[in-house]
Amino acid sequence: MTRILFISDNSQKVDYFNSVFKKNSYDFSSLSDEKLIYEIISAEMPDIIIIDSSFNNIKLINKKIKSVNENSIIIFLTNPNKIEKEIVKYANAFITEDMSEDLILSTISVNLRMKNALEMLSNSNKDLADSLYRLNALYDTSSRFSGTLDKAKLIQFMIEGMDKALSFSLTCTLSLCTEATPVLILDSLYELSDELIEALKLRTVLNYNSINKEEKPEDKQLDITTLKVIKHVKYPASRFTFNLFQYDNMFAPISLGENLFGCVEIFKETSFTAEDSTCFQTIAQQVALPLKSATLYQELIETNQKLEKLERLKSEFISIVSHELRTPLTSIKNSLDILMSGKCIELNSNAEKFLSMAMRNVQRLSGIINDLLDLSKIEAGKMDFHFAPTNINTVIGYVKSALSEVAKTKGLKLTTKESDNLPDITADSQRLEQVLTNLVSNAIKFTPEDKEITISSSLVNSKDIQINEYFKDSIILKNTDYIMVCVKDEGIGIEGKDLLHAFDKFAQIENSLSRKAGGTGLGLPIAKQLLEAHQGAIWCDSELHKGSKFYFVIPVSTNLN
Amino acid sequence: MKKILIVDDEQDIVESLKFVLEAADFTCYCAYNGEDGLRLAKEIIPDLIILDVMMPKINGYKISRLLKYDAKYKNIPILMVTARSQEEDKLIGEETGADEYITKPFELDEVVKKVEEYLK
Repeated sequence: MTRILFISDNSQKVDYFNSVFKKNSYDFSSLSDEKLIYEIISAEMPDIIIIDSSFNNIKLINKKIKSVNENSIIIFLTNPNKIEKEIVKYANAFITEDMSEDLILSTISVNLRMKNALEMLSNSNKDLADSLYRLNALYDTSSRFSGTLDKAKLIQFMIEGMDKALSFSLTCTLSLCTEATPVLILDSLYELSDELIEALKLRTVLNYNSINKEEKPEDKQLDITTLKVIKHVKYPASRFTFNLFQYDNMFAPISLGENLFGCVEIFKETSFTAEDSTCFQTIAQQVALPLKSATLYQELIETNQKLEKLERLKSEFISIVSHELRTPLTSIKNSLDILMSGKCIELNSNAEKFLSMAMRNVQRLSGIINDLLDLSKIEAGKMDFHFAPTNINTVIGYVKSALSEVAKTKGLKLTTKESDNLPDITADSQRLEQVLTNLVSNAIKFTPEDKEITISSSLVNSKDIQINEYFKDSIILKNTDYIMVCVKDEGIGIEGKDLLHAFDKFAQIENSLSRKAGGTGLGLPIAKQLLEAHQGAIWCDSELHKGSKFYFVIPVSTNLN
Repeated sequence: MKKILIVDDEQDIVESLKFVLEAADFTCYCAYNGEDGLRLAKEIIPDLIILDVMMPKINGYKISRLLKYDAKYKNIPILMVTARSQEEDKLIGEETGADEYITKPFELDEVVKKVEEYLK
């Protein structure tokens, strides 16, 4: 029923209005005591207040009413010929004593409608302000999420965000990702007793197990005895009781795909709305992505540290190989040298045979150590090159004189076919010697008796260089002149499918002859890397049982120095 | 007879060097760490020193530097012997005044030849 309060000390008027409003089923009352007026309106504001303008102190009464409720409707009963300008400021409407009953009731009805409309507007305004505040809280929280990769901070921001948007009484956050063991973070308005904390722990463990059971049975059950608790209390003077469990609550896992980072439960004395629930779920979901990124970031850092450690270990290993293997090898070699010199004892032919066998193997071993060292140095970018103008025919000359004796003992002929007047190239002549020695040694190793090995050199333009289908794609030559060297043998050759791997590490081709030939299989990969350091390239043409041709090219002009 | 001081913590290497150098008519003195090496060098004033780099107590670089910057000993030729073969190590060796740099594994004949060259 619409409540109407009439403020007047004129009993005649009171009686008149009483009869009019009662007749039309309004809840009508009247007052003339100023003090009583204030008490009544403070307790319950009437829907409409009619003030007799002849009443005392109407300005003050007006002010008081407006201070209690700005939207209260005040209608003045006034003399039609005399409206005070001052009163116009406060009035919602006027009625006069000589107005018809219908007109009075219409005025009241119009004002009631206006009042209702105003109230609705004010309510929706309030809702709008609430939503805006919540949206701001969400926005603020998500921008804080994107600003850090620290998992503990992310969890803290999530709780703060929920506090801002939902103003909880208590949150129980189980975090599986911030420390080595699971942590229960309690953010509470009031102090919690030990018994209550135990109960919350149990509740959280049950919650966790319920969401985790579906995917991972048994293996990741949470142990309540080891669960660490971190407690933040806002007002420690007051205490929560077990009544807390009668509060309204919401629960959400913090997860992304298969990754479960924890879960969060929130309690509030008053009940949550559907909007609260959406907001809560949104925040819990939003924190999962940055937690995932933080986890990945952490993994990345850890992997990096592991790699750095491995790299360090590798360098240390190389230095050990370099020193610890070479030193005893030197002693063995020296002892053999002394024995073979015959200065200690006279040797019979058998002793000499076995001593030279030992010597050969010592030399082989030091060759392997040198190869390993070279390769790791090149791979670590620590190989030193001394680039200088070099004539390739000089290098070929050295290699020929060093290896023709070896070839001869195997019954092979080593010949050279150098082109005259070749321009100098910028190269490290020792490294080129190493490459060529390796190629020719291989040729000697894999060629049967009475055959020929030929080293040839020439000047060619890149457009005249033909590279077979196996290497075409991996070798890119500049459009310029190159010095080309070819080592041709009549050995066992290499099958097409094996050609591609000829320059891979440890990739000696498996067959009886190569096994007999020995070696680490590091020579060709080293040659390849050394030539690449010269901006050159190496490849091979071969036919099984007919022989191989190894080519390498180095550009005539380079920016090396 | 010319006196040669061999300083290396690898006894086996010292032994073999001693053997071939004595066979070539040199008198050899041996030390197995840097400290003894430096003391012996000052005591006997050898005609040549064969010096290892990586040794306990005082390393070869330091010994070389100490001797080469002292007028009394600076004319003694020093042959540095080491398993380190990095270029930068060679540079350090030269900077400390060593006359020759030999990397392990080395040929004994080569060392004898070098020694004879310096003591001609």
